[in-house]
Amino acid sequence: MSFFLQFMIDVLSLGGAYALMALGLVIVYGILRLVNFAYGELIMVAGYTMYLTSGSGLPWLVMAAVAVLMAIMAGIATDYIAFRPVRAKSVTAVLITSFAFSTLLQNAALLFISPRPRNVPLPEIFSETVQFAGVITPARNLITIATAVVMLGLFSWLMRHTVLGIAMRAAATNFTMARMLGVPANLIISSAFAISGLLAGVVSMLWIGRVGAVVPGVGLEPLLIAFIATVIGGMRSLQGAVLGGFLLAFMDITLNFTLPQDLLKFRDAFTFSLVILILLWRPQGLIRGPASGQRT
Amino acid sequence: MTKKTYALMAAGLATLLFAAPANAASDEILIGGALSLTGIQAPLDTPGFNGAQVAVKALNDAGGLLGKKVKFVNIDGKSDPVTVGNVAVELIDKGAELMVAPCDFDFGGPASREAQSAGLVGISTCASDPLYSSWSLGDKQFTLSMWNTTMGATAADYALKERGWKTAYVVTDQFIAYTKSLSKYFVEHFKAIGGEIILEDTYTNGDNDFSAQLSRLQALGKKPDVIFISSYGTDIAVMIRALREVGYDAPVLGGDSYDDPAIHEALGKKLGNDVYFVTHTWMGPEAHPDMPKFIQLYKDMYGEAPDTSFVATGWDTIMLMAEAVKMAGTTDGAAVAKALEEGEFKLLTGDLSYKDADGGHAPDKAAVLVELKGGTPSFLGWRRPETIPNP
Repeated sequence: MSFFLQFMIDVLSLGGAYALMALGLVIVYGILRLVNFAYGELIMVAGYTMYLTSGSGLPWLVMAAVAVLMAIMAGIATDYIAFRPVRAKSVTAVLITSFAFSTLLQNAALLFISPRPRNVPLPEIFSETVQFAGVITPARNLITIATAVVMLGLFSWLMRHTVLGIAMRAAATNFTMARMLGVPANLIISSAFAISGLLAGVVSMLWIGRVGAVVPGVGLEPLLIAFIATVIGGMRSLQGAVLGGFLLAFMDITLNFTLPQDLLKFRDAFTFSLVILILLWRPQGLIRGPASGQRT
Repeated sequence: MTKKTYALMAAGLATLLFAAPANAASDEILIGGALSLTGIQAPLDTPGFNGAQVAVKALNDAGGLLGKKVKFVNIDGKSDPVTVGNVAVELIDKGAELMVAPCDFDFGGPASREAQSAGLVGISTCASDPLYSSWSLGDKQFTLSMWNTTMGATAADYALKERGWKTAYVVTDQFIAYTKSLSKYFVEHFKAIGGEIILEDTYTNGDNDFSAQLSRLQALGKKPDVIFISSYGTDIAVMIRALREVGYDAPVLGGDSYDDPAIHEALGKKLGNDVYFVTHTWMGPEAHPDMPKFIQLYKDMYGEAPDTSFVATGWDTIMLMAEAVKMAGTTDGAAVAKALEEGEFKLLTGDLSYKDADGGHAPDKAAVLVELKGGTPSFLGWRRPETIPNP
């Protein structure tokens, strides 16, 4: 029983972080049909903001709020710098500019801060443990689960019950039609980037909280995870992204538990084989999402 | 932009173009470097690069080498084996006569292979996997570092013979040859001297998640006397943090990849205790009488004291090359390699002598033990294992 509980906590906490990562990527993809390759750098920006504000003596929560705010601003900046100027012209151009923006941010961190890891402050509670029902687990895992639940709840309410959310869903289904009915395109897209930045900022706190340090390449792994999770779940579906995140975490941890030592080093090969099987069975991903309109 | 600026840029470009062949001029010895200043390798290579710069300046201030000025040109290898190889080719084309290769077999190997095929001596600043040998790279390739055979045996000796820790839990990161072979030699030696391994587990670099490994350890139902973790970069902090959080407070042992202040800071006062690691040297007069002199030169150049012993690997690599070139009287690859095989060198990272090419250029070298207490490292002393495992 306690083993099962431990397993569930591990899956839910890792899956919660993965789901938030995937959601941040898919929210932009849903509307623009373009993967934002600078997404990982939003996580990096939040991490370095924590590092830079660490000497200020502010309470941790204030620093975290500033870091998340910076990630949101970086998200909006991605739209203004990399997407908006070339959005209407060519898909390839946007792909390249989003890569360029990603490289630019990474190299800025390399040049102006350091290629070596930099320390970020963590609150006391991140290093504490909780014991219940025969399970000892870091409090951080439970915080991650709680944060994921709150963020997903908030996000789902936003998408269903606010004008912005409904407009965004309309834009994701058929952008041209939505625009004809008076939905302002730029505002919707900027909002999507802002939400993407918010999710990246929150994920950053949880992800970097596992290490206690930030490096210029810190966003690569989350970007990859988010990408795979959305591919499994369905590139067009918000629910799919969340499902994909949890499923990927479930596969990773189950394989970590069950594979014999000799095979464990090939775990990623097993994970990706499973991903391929899922895609053979469901080429569109697990959840199909709205019928695909033309890219605008 | 005005015409004038264009003209200036063109002039600058021209200088660059024409300056390149001038490197090979006879009044200069060009040492090429493919050290990675960015990417996962940067924490180990950047300090080495800084140390090498100090050494080159010191050499030139003392009159150069064979009456010539020494010039060190490093092009960022970007922690990418292919880039490292390309960079090495570019440097050889520019007239490099010696090659400084990045740490570790996976990243440094390509630079050494290019040096070997051009007939040049290549020395890695801190590659410790025994694959970094003349057997696999060629008869003109060396590493400044001790091999993992020494590093693993030193850790095992310290645990069992000095501290009496009899049972070990070993985690191996599957990242590169270095992380894999360090565990292998630790386990081999620890068993050979009578220790018991209660569990061996693996980790994938970048996972950022240690929960499955923790569950396996918890399922075992017994606590180890010592925990040996062979990993790379900040993942070390992730694992130590995860273990400490759920109550595994046994001492943690590891290799030279722990010698990075970022890891010490990431662990902090609370978790950075009872951590021991084997590394190249210690940045204080206790380690070597010449260390304060080096630290002063380093401060003069960079305005701050070095924060890891990897700076000494860069200094030593350049000084080792200079010593061997002096003995050989030339920069010719075969002659310098012979001088390295025959000589005995007194370095900041310990006394060093190499076996011949048939012996793999195995380095005979002592190691330094460092303890982490309250997130701050302290020097425990030099160690030289009586026996080491066969590579």
